[in-house]
Amino acid sequence: MAGHNDSNASEKKSNEATNDLPTFNAENMQSNMKIIYYSRTFMSIIGGVIAGILGFTSLTGFIFYFLVMAITSVGLTAKAGFSIHSYFSSWNQIVLDGFLGGLMSFVLFWTFAYDIVHIF
Amino acid sequence: MGLGFAVGVFGVLILAHAAYSTIQYRGLLKIMEEEFSGPPMNVVIELLLGFAVCMWAALTVPGNFLSIHPYADENRIVSLPANLDFMIFNHRGKAFPLDLDLKLKH
Repeated sequence: MAGHNDSNASEKKSNEATNDLPTFNAENMQSNMKIIYYSRTFMSIIGGVIAGILGFTSLTGFIFYFLVMAITSVGLTAKAGFSIHSYFSSWNQIVLDGFLGGLMSFVLFWTFAYDIVHIF
Repeated sequence: MGLGFAVGVFGVLILAHAAYSTIQYRGLLKIMEEEFSGPPMNVVIELLLGFAVCMWAALTVPGNFLSIHPYADENRIVSLPANLDFMIFNHRGKAFPLDLDLKLKH
């Protein structure tokens, strides 16, 4: 009996989950993701320039990148008014998306600024 | 949009000036024959300022987040005129004179 009740409850839950999934407004979600990518790319470029001017090398620079991305995530969360779930389906979208693409821009501008300031 | 973009350009200019100051500082160190240990204090302050300004621009320029819930207030208002069933042409509003040039005055 208890098992039957449990299965009923889980079925209800899964039903709710399947009902929840398609109810997101895809257009607005895509627009939100575009905003996230825009902010992250710009912040990684700025972070790269700052790391280059400060003269960071090797591991320090990558730690600096993690720091900048963490600050950007906090900024985006604050922009969403700390109510993530009315704008995004999960935390991963605001914390992780655009991380690797930003790393490429970061390394590019890091070496660029370092070369201009410290080598030439 | 315009204001945020201008602020972003200003932040990039601050960073460029910080880079220029560092280049000058390195030239000074070369003359005094000392090693570079770290950037001077005014450059660090300038970098922090530039970072804050660019951060503000990066969060403002792309626009506001839109709610993904279909029953949120903003989404509901947008979707109402899309439904043709709510369009009514034969109502008492036609007794009033038509202001066809209403939009031209703006």
